[in-house]
Amino acid sequence: MASDTDIPRAEALPPPITERGIVGWTHANLFSAWYNTVLTFIFAAILALALWFGLRWIILESDWRVIATLGGNLIIGQYNIEKACPGQNCFWRPQVSLLLVSVLLGMAWAVSGDRVARRIAIGAAVVAAAFALLPYSLERMGLDVRLLLVANLPAVAAGWALARFTPLGTVRWTVIMGVLAFLLTLVLLRGLPGVPGLQPVSVIYWGGLMLNLLLAVTGIALSLPIGIALALGRRSRLPVVKLLCVVFIEVFRGVPLITLLFMSQVLVPLAFPEDLPTNSLFRAGVVITLFSSAYMAENIRGGLQALHPGQAEAARALGLPGWQTTLLISLPQAIRNVIPAIVGQFISLFKDTTLVYIIGMLDVLEFGRAFIQGNVAEYLDSTPEFLLFIALVFWIFCYTMSYVSRRVEEHLGVGQR
Amino acid sequence: MARAPGSFLTGLAYYQGVPVWRHAQIIQWALQIVSGIVVVVLVASFFANITNAIQDRNIPHGFGFLSREYQTPIGQHFLPYESSDTYLYAFGVAATNTIIVSIVGVILATALGIVVGVARISGNWLVSRTALVYVEFFRNVPLLVQLFFWFYIVLTLPPVRQGYVLADGIYFNNAGISVPWPSPPSWDAALVWMAVALVSIIAGVVLHRILTRREELTGKPSYPFLAGGITTVVAAAVGWLVIGAASGNSPFEISVPAPHGTFGRIAGGFTISGGLMALLTGLVIYTSSFIAEIVRAGIQSVGRGQTEAARSLGLAPMAALRYVAFPQALRVIIPPLISQCLNLTKNSSLAAAIGYADLTNVGKTMTQIAPAVSIYILLMVAYLAMSLTYSLIGNLYNRRIRLVRN
Repeated sequence: MASDTDIPRAEALPPPITERGIVGWTHANLFSAWYNTVLTFIFAAILALALWFGLRWIILESDWRVIATLGGNLIIGQYNIEKACPGQNCFWRPQVSLLLVSVLLGMAWAVSGDRVARRIAIGAAVVAAAFALLPYSLERMGLDVRLLLVANLPAVAAGWALARFTPLGTVRWTVIMGVLAFLLTLVLLRGLPGVPGLQPVSVIYWGGLMLNLLLAVTGIALSLPIGIALALGRRSRLPVVKLLCVVFIEVFRGVPLITLLFMSQVLVPLAFPEDLPTNSLFRAGVVITLFSSAYMAENIRGGLQALHPGQAEAARALGLPGWQTTLLISLPQAIRNVIPAIVGQFISLFKDTTLVYIIGMLDVLEFGRAFIQGNVAEYLDSTPEFLLFIALVFWIFCYTMSYVSRRVEEHLGVGQR
Repeated sequence: MARAPGSFLTGLAYYQGVPVWRHAQIIQWALQIVSGIVVVVLVASFFANITNAIQDRNIPHGFGFLSREYQTPIGQHFLPYESSDTYLYAFGVAATNTIIVSIVGVILATALGIVVGVARISGNWLVSRTALVYVEFFRNVPLLVQLFFWFYIVLTLPPVRQGYVLADGIYFNNAGISVPWPSPPSWDAALVWMAVALVSIIAGVVLHRILTRREELTGKPSYPFLAGGITTVVAAAVGWLVIGAASGNSPFEISVPAPHGTFGRIAGGFTISGGLMALLTGLVIYTSSFIAEIVRAGIQSVGRGQTEAARSLGLAPMAALRYVAFPQALRVIIPPLISQCLNLTKNSSLAAAIGYADLTNVGKTMTQIAPAVSIYILLMVAYLAMSLTYSLIGNLYNRRIRLVRN
């Protein structure tokens, strides 16, 4: 048998043209077999038709004046109407809250040093500032409103500088500032009796995208800790605690959110003493939070179950007490493993905030719908434009959330260890 | 065991030689009792407050209303319904509406989800990208927005008289879509035949199982599917003829919809109302985008080596898929799929927004006259029963597919 080295080698030929470059790519991805060729042509035809009709509708037929007319009220709802805020313009109060969000985004960008955080911070500020330049509704948006919108750009820069050049640039401080900003936002929006310029605004006038975001942020911030507690309770060896957690989780997971919201409307005022200040916003917040924590608990329980028992056993063997084993060893790994499910629940919670229409709150969807219902002759035909716009707004928020979650997973090296 | 030091009195503070305030079991039990009492007190005061409020404000209560006449029309209903029927029956009609939407929705959403999920991992770039856009769009937009959109589309359909006639006897307009549908001349004969048909199906399934087992044990081709199918069809057909001869007319006749009266209202056949069409379209598209991701993850979770190993053992491509890859993918797919089906059932409560008479919608209407708290209890019980059914199916499946480790 001749050894390999005896055979004279020919120069390696380049791969054939059908496997290189654009030709190779189309061949491999679009025309690799006869049925793939057929599929490619069918899908190309369908997409071309959809594109043709879609573009024709957008350019020639659609009428976006309904969005322009609704304008800033899509964001703040009825907050600025005369009855809500007699004698003065309250538009600046949600706007200052927006500035706080911009500062926080700037801080998050500097602290994480991540390009996604940078894109989100700058993107949000640019969109806000761009609203100031829109030509329509001059009488609705005065110079002060526009200047406050433009101020989002320096606000992001200020947040970035704050985190970069002062000792506040840590995750811990960002979280603390976030909580403070949230409380400040609530005070700003609700107002303080007796303080000039901060006269109270009843929550029945809160609405628009602001309402969706407030409910979502509250729900997200509270449902995670409650969910963790419920998940731990459900896995507890103590039968009474376990039973209580199981009943809570199963009841809240078994009934639709819309049914719970509509039940809370009558049941909660009956169940609590009459002097307790329960308003529809409070009720919606509580119901959405509890509903979401039941789901969160099941996600976290899944993460805990997937954990190898050796982790907890090793921690106990090293002498850690039970609560430290749970808090420092089991939970961090469990949560890391179920980040997609947790963020999926956040997304679902944000989408579910549209259901508050059932208790008569005017969120961004219901506010616009109520407006269209009130001006049927003029705007009924603009319903698809309006719904498409709302869909786009929600899509941007939800897609950003799932994008960030994938980024966080990459950072934590899930699936790499 | 170490004896606790000290006198009898200080000895009382020790249990198994450990001070009671540091004894793990005692602390746990004390905590449980305290938390139990706190919860019981909270729940009791919650109900006491409600009861007091009901009595103080003279709010109607109790379940006596259930036997009274509901006297409110229900739009689309699958069980026969008159305004003179009782509240309890109307509630059952609404529950049936929810269940039927769930069953049809689950079947359609699963089918569409599988198609989109397989398209997601297609080797064809155009197909997989289209599927990706579909999934990312529909699952990131609130279902309510989608439902309003489909309902708007339904409302812009032409009115009944200018409606489309898709084929002979199929009408499509803003009142919905009407199709020919079997309807029984007399319910007695129909019910008897349905029982016969059920028995035929069971007989066919049993035969299929016996022959499959024979084939597996002996290796002789036994055509289980063919034999079972023929048995079912022949038995049902014989039943049809016998019952038809005995009762004078066939158990079911096809009722064809046709315009009636001055307004051209479509009567006869079966009409899927506009609200139901919009609800089903929205639910199916929304849920299918979630199911597609589940199916994709399930298929990708089966290692390529599994199929390759099966092929190298001599299994045909279809057999390798059918007996090796598919069962392993199902193990990953089914549990989250069941939870999506439960979500679809619960999301059908959004029907309240577009005027389809589901449980929540009818319950909401009932609270305007009947005692609200009683209706809430009925609603909770109905939804929890449905969710428990899904859990039961899921648990049964999990028990069947559990890996047995030796």
